[in-house]
Amino acid sequence: MKTCQVNWLRTLCLMLVFISVSGVAALAAADEHIYDSANLLSESEIADLEAVAAKYSQEQDVDFLFLTTADENMPLITDYMGDFFDEWSIENNQKNVVLLTMNIATRDVYLAGFGKAETTLDNKRVDMVLDRIVPEMQNGDYADAFRETVTTSSRYMEYRPGVNPENILLKSWFQLLVALLLGAGVVGFMLYNSGGRVTTTASTYFDGDHTRVTGTRDQFRNKTVSRRKVPKNDGGSGGGFGGGGTTGGGTSFSGGGRKF
Amino acid sequence: MVIQYKCPNCGSDMSFDSESGHLSCPNCGRQDEIETFPETNIIRKFDPDEAKEYHCENCGAVILTEAQTTATHCSFCGAPVLLADRLTGDLAPAKVIPFTISKDEAVAAFRKWTNNGRLTPRGFTSGDRIKKMTGMYVPFWLYDIEGKADVEALATRVHSYTSGDTIYTETNFYDVRREIDLSYLKVPADASEKMDDELMDKLEPYNYGELKDFKMPYLAGYLAEKYDYGDEELFSRIETKIVPYIDSYIGSTISGYSTLSYTNKQIQTNKKNVYYTLFPVWMVYYDFDNKEHTFAMNGQTGKVVGKPPISAFKVAAWFTGIAASVFAVMKVVAFAVGGVLW
Repeated sequence: MKTCQVNWLRTLCLMLVFISVSGVAALAAADEHIYDSANLLSESEIADLEAVAAKYSQEQDVDFLFLTTADENMPLITDYMGDFFDEWSIENNQKNVVLLTMNIATRDVYLAGFGKAETTLDNKRVDMVLDRIVPEMQNGDYADAFRETVTTSSRYMEYRPGVNPENILLKSWFQLLVALLLGAGVVGFMLYNSGGRVTTTASTYFDGDHTRVTGTRDQFRNKTVSRRKVPKNDGGSGGGFGGGGTTGGGTSFSGGGRKF
Repeated sequence: MVIQYKCPNCGSDMSFDSESGHLSCPNCGRQDEIETFPETNIIRKFDPDEAKEYHCENCGAVILTEAQTTATHCSFCGAPVLLADRLTGDLAPAKVIPFTISKDEAVAAFRKWTNNGRLTPRGFTSGDRIKKMTGMYVPFWLYDIEGKADVEALATRVHSYTSGDTIYTETNFYDVRREIDLSYLKVPADASEKMDDELMDKLEPYNYGELKDFKMPYLAGYLAEKYDYGDEELFSRIETKIVPYIDSYIGSTISGYSTLSYTNKQIQTNKKNVYYTLFPVWMVYYDFDNKEHTFAMNGQTGKVVGKPPISAFKVAAWFTGIAASVFAVMKVVAFAVGGVLW
């Protein structure tokens, strides 16, 4: 019994090690990630965020960029963002980009994924990231909002495209909880039944020949009707817009934007 | 009065053989039908001071009995004896299910059962510490139950549909009533004070196909007891036993509703017939860790009940094993679906 369990554990450990080794790859990334034209960040914040962005950019092989502007007359933030990307992409020879753009004058924020990130950070995941960062933006916490964008996006991008990364079934704590409950349930059942089980049922002593229904009534009494509106299924809240598009230079992207 | 069955061939004391269902002589192997056993070979010995003690016909020794004992062995010469005055009149059983599992089969069945104990300590599972096995006829009352149920309930049927941009949920209310004639046959309750009720309930069910009219020779060679509780006293136990059965039957007659709440439920049960019956039970006394554990085995079906010792290590091992494998499986599935392990 004991040796059998030890062997089993060893196999499990080997399997875990094998699986975790296979996802680490590092590639060079751009030098500059923060383009703070609106001067919303302090020097130290920029230095800090550059470090974070560089670290994650290398890990993911996707550059995380933060672009701020303060242009009251900008009609569409996506155009501004697209132009920036086209230029940046040629300069740095890098197509895989996650770009967080904000216009402090119009209070627009737009998060986009280019190249590889277009699939790994699709519109749904962009929306989920926005859900997390918009409150911080509303508080004026732009540095934290970008940091959150970088960490959360890279976490989401680990997951296979199309999968909801916040699905409870993928959470370790939930899996552990299910495993423990199931273990306790099964062992509890075994313990409960160790002294022998009751195997008589309602039909054991039932006399079908003399049991019968002698009177039935199923009388309609009244009815109630309740109405409610069909819930709108657009999911957008707080003035959402976008959902991807194409830049002037012809690169398609995933994305989503909000007012904050 | 003491009864012993003497072999027509050799005069030895015969006992009931569970394999053939006959009276069998341990000495010469002669087998006799219970129905046709010659009267002349039934030794009936009447003691004048029988209220106090019984004497063995063979050796004259005093037969040691408890007040409930109806069949036993002479503690001196081992001859199977029946105490007939405790089996006649009001105390005469109406029915009996004879043993179909012999002592050897019972030992084998018990060993097999201990072997299957997934949570019992290793030393216990070998099943070789049986201290004593006693074949015993336990007194039961079997009740034929007749009853009436009259229930009223408020039921709803819910369905919803969409029209335009509105969802309508329509709830229809119904008055439901059922009147039912109920009948349950031969519901058993053990009438022995000594026997644990829960244990005896778990021994059920017995196969009533082998229910026989009572004849004394079935008891020869086994222990038997008379009832401690009368059928009136035990009827409340029968009622609590069959009420869940009745409830589930009532539920099965009402179908097609989304919700159901009973507003009135009247159930009456009466006993139609009562049979004083003896059921075969092997009592197994098992020594483990300097403690005696008692188990009971259905002498007809071989089902074993009783609390075995539990190994904390095995409980922990099963728990960790199951939890770890479930966790691993979930992780593998999560990895296959999501592409991320942690």
